[in-house]
Amino acid sequence: MTPLLEPPLLRRLEALALQVRREVSGQMGGERRSVARGRSVEFADFRNYTPGDDYRLIDWNAYARLDRFMLRLFVAEQELPLSIFVDLSGSMDWGRPGKALAAKRLAGAIAYVALAALDRVRLTVFAASPTSAAAPYRGRRAVADLFARLQSLPVGGRTDYAKLVWPIGRQRPGMTVLISDGLGESSMDPAIAALRRARQEGAVLQLLAPQEIKPDWTGDATLRDSETGVERDFTFTPLTQGVYLEALARRTQEIERSAHRRGLRFARLSTDEPVEDMVQLTLRRLGLLS
Amino acid sequence: MTLLAPLAAALALTLPAIVALYFLRIRRQTRVVPDLHLWPDQILDRQANVPWQRLRFSWLLLLQLLAVAVLVAAAVQPALSAGTSLARHSVVLLDVSASMQAHDVQPSRLDEAKRQVAAVIDQLGPQDRMTLIGVSSAPRILASVVGDRDSLHRALTDVAATNGAADLSSALRLAAGLVRPGDDARAYLFSDGIVGPLRTDSSNSLPFPVEYHPIGVSGENVGLTSLVVRTGAQSRAGYLHVQNFGQQSRSFSLDWRADGQLLDVRQLTLAGGQAADLVLPVPAGATLVSAHLDAGDVFALDDTVTAVARTPRVFRVLLVTPGNVFLQQAIGVRADVQLDVIAPAAYKSSTAYAMSIFDRYSPPALPDGPFIMIDPPAGSPLAGGTGIGIGRVRASDAGDPLLTNVDLQDVHVARSQDLRLSQFGRALITSPQTPLLVVRDEPFRQVLFGFDIHESDLPLRIAFPILVQNLSEWMLPPSVPSHSFHPDEPVTIVPEPGAASVTVVRPDGGRRSLATSSISTFADTDLTGLYTVEQAVSGKVDRSWFTVNLFSDQISQLKPASRLTLPPIGNTTTVHSAHHGLLEIWPWIALVALVIVVLEWLAFHRGL
Repeated sequence: MTPLLEPPLLRRLEALALQVRREVSGQMGGERRSVARGRSVEFADFRNYTPGDDYRLIDWNAYARLDRFMLRLFVAEQELPLSIFVDLSGSMDWGRPGKALAAKRLAGAIAYVALAALDRVRLTVFAASPTSAAAPYRGRRAVADLFARLQSLPVGGRTDYAKLVWPIGRQRPGMTVLISDGLGESSMDPAIAALRRARQEGAVLQLLAPQEIKPDWTGDATLRDSETGVERDFTFTPLTQGVYLEALARRTQEIERSAHRRGLRFARLSTDEPVEDMVQLTLRRLGLLS
Repeated sequence: MTLLAPLAAALALTLPAIVALYFLRIRRQTRVVPDLHLWPDQILDRQANVPWQRLRFSWLLLLQLLAVAVLVAAAVQPALSAGTSLARHSVVLLDVSASMQAHDVQPSRLDEAKRQVAAVIDQLGPQDRMTLIGVSSAPRILASVVGDRDSLHRALTDVAATNGAADLSSALRLAAGLVRPGDDARAYLFSDGIVGPLRTDSSNSLPFPVEYHPIGVSGENVGLTSLVVRTGAQSRAGYLHVQNFGQQSRSFSLDWRADGQLLDVRQLTLAGGQAADLVLPVPAGATLVSAHLDAGDVFALDDTVTAVARTPRVFRVLLVTPGNVFLQQAIGVRADVQLDVIAPAAYKSSTAYAMSIFDRYSPPALPDGPFIMIDPPAGSPLAGGTGIGIGRVRASDAGDPLLTNVDLQDVHVARSQDLRLSQFGRALITSPQTPLLVVRDEPFRQVLFGFDIHESDLPLRIAFPILVQNLSEWMLPPSVPSHSFHPDEPVTIVPEPGAASVTVVRPDGGRRSLATSSISTFADTDLTGLYTVEQAVSGKVDRSWFTVNLFSDQISQLKPASRLTLPPIGNTTTVHSAHHGLLEIWPWIALVALVIVVLEWLAFHRGL
């Protein structure tokens, strides 16, 4: 079985790290600055001792000067909760290279960067309804499980972005990456709005096939919707091509505006770009990785 | 409106065929797309291969039907009735004479005439034929009974103006010869009306009506109509005649040159219709003089004239006579003749003389050259029979050039030798009794009078010096005449004895070789200017010159004639049933079809 990501690529990805703008709020220690105070070498503040505090944190020098028990507080370093939502609806099963495979590889690459930094990764795939694993992935040892799951996930079904609102709302503050083609009857805006409410920072990545960005055929055809199976006769002419491209651009613009309005990053990617270019160039330029 | 190709209307069957194609439904390939909502609801029927479907409105269908309809309309070649009435056989007489070079209408009279002729050609119907004749000093058929308009246009395009006069009589005779009895013929004359004299009597009647289309608007022209060089007692001078043929006064400058060197420039002002004669100096030794006026008028051909200034060669003539003052005077009239008169006893054979005249004397041996023998005495090989009484005389052939202007009406001869048995040559003047004057061309031009001119009243008549002049010029033509000729006028050139080659260099530098063994007629005198005759004699090139100038008051007058009195239509069997010409409009319809096809192409590519 072909590996989702090649080992040389994985080695190069280890040099990267997810970049968060805010301090994280994880459950377990990690390598991220946390809003919580805890054990680290970085001094944060003093406070008065109250019974029950760990007396090992009492600053005896301060006690000697002030005759009061003062606690030294340090910045706690916690893990980054990263959620990756991957669209595996019927519309993603399209294009050369296919959008679904490109989405899985991109999700795997981002997840690998996070796992290598001891961050916690929750993977959720969605089509008609979201599906996620019971437990999040943590640590390098989880990489193989995550990749295996990504490879085994089926593709198909109708997209309903509204059904992402509930699982997104359950997220602890952290980072979320939403990978989708942004197509379908429903709008992505409710899901993006939910990310904001859940205090998620991150990115919305629209993944399209080159044949969508610039159709490579003309003439008469019967078009069949990849998700609904609805068919319609159509004549592809320079005029209708213009109408289609305008509609696609409008859809992309809606998603981008929605993301930026909620403080999220946005990028449109083409499946003919190598995954490494997507990560090293586009995501670094976005500030999602460093 | 007339349809020239009505059968092409069958092409209209393509219209229902196109509609039928739109009834066919397209077999479409199924294509899966990620999101159907992005694709506009746009269906065009551009291919059809599965029957059937409901006909939908389509701009393409509309444009295609329109294009085919217009193409069919062009294919049937509709033609509108034009203003010109045409016969089945149209004879177009196009004046290409010198006056048609005038540019009082732009670009020139000839170009305007060609434009009008082209319009007539365009109106020819499929059954019509046209003959195109160029009217000049020698009318020429440019296209004979042709129905193909392209050929007629090509023939018309190749027409250029000549420098000669228009001989319309010859052109009409030529045209009449091309029309067969029973033809539906009509002639169209495109001319400025400046043509040679026309015989309008019924004997020159035409088998078709002639429609005259006058060309030209103005007769404003200043021209040089004469230039001769005369030698006086002390000097030589050029006599130049310049005339303002227009109505308006004109001021202009006149250049006078000798061998290309400018000698004089004169400013002249001539009122309308006024003429001036100028006497201009000719330097000794000059070969050629020319005058050029810069009048800025509409006709350039008469603005430059040239003349040969060199004195022609002198012929030595020997007159052997016991005494004949009439003959001596008549021969001496000729300027280029040096006459030696001797008594018969003093005669010695000599090759120094170009011509000998033996009056009542016959030499022991006849000279090898031109001679005139008058009343040879008995014993002479040329003597005739016993003298017989004559009386009135007459010409053997009144049209003989040697008798030009010779009036024999009141000429009588008392007695003449009987030349009826003479083998000398052909009779020029004769009587009921015997030929009186015979001439021959071979071996040399020679003349035999059978009577003593003293026994006739001929020397007392004006006919005598004219006859002697005609005979001497025939026998002693100048090798190259030095006077001016009109364009297209033939020039007789007599090669010098012993000439190895004779070449004429035209004003444009073109060279023409002539035969050296006989008298030649050089007819390529269509250009005005100086012609140089080069003869190679004994290793040297002997040059002589003659000039060709327009010198025609009739042409320089230039005023177009609004009406022409043409010969009457004869009582012939030709049919005169003129119909209106056709103005074909299919090229314009085809152009509209092309525009529609382009629109259809654009609509197809824009997906309308």
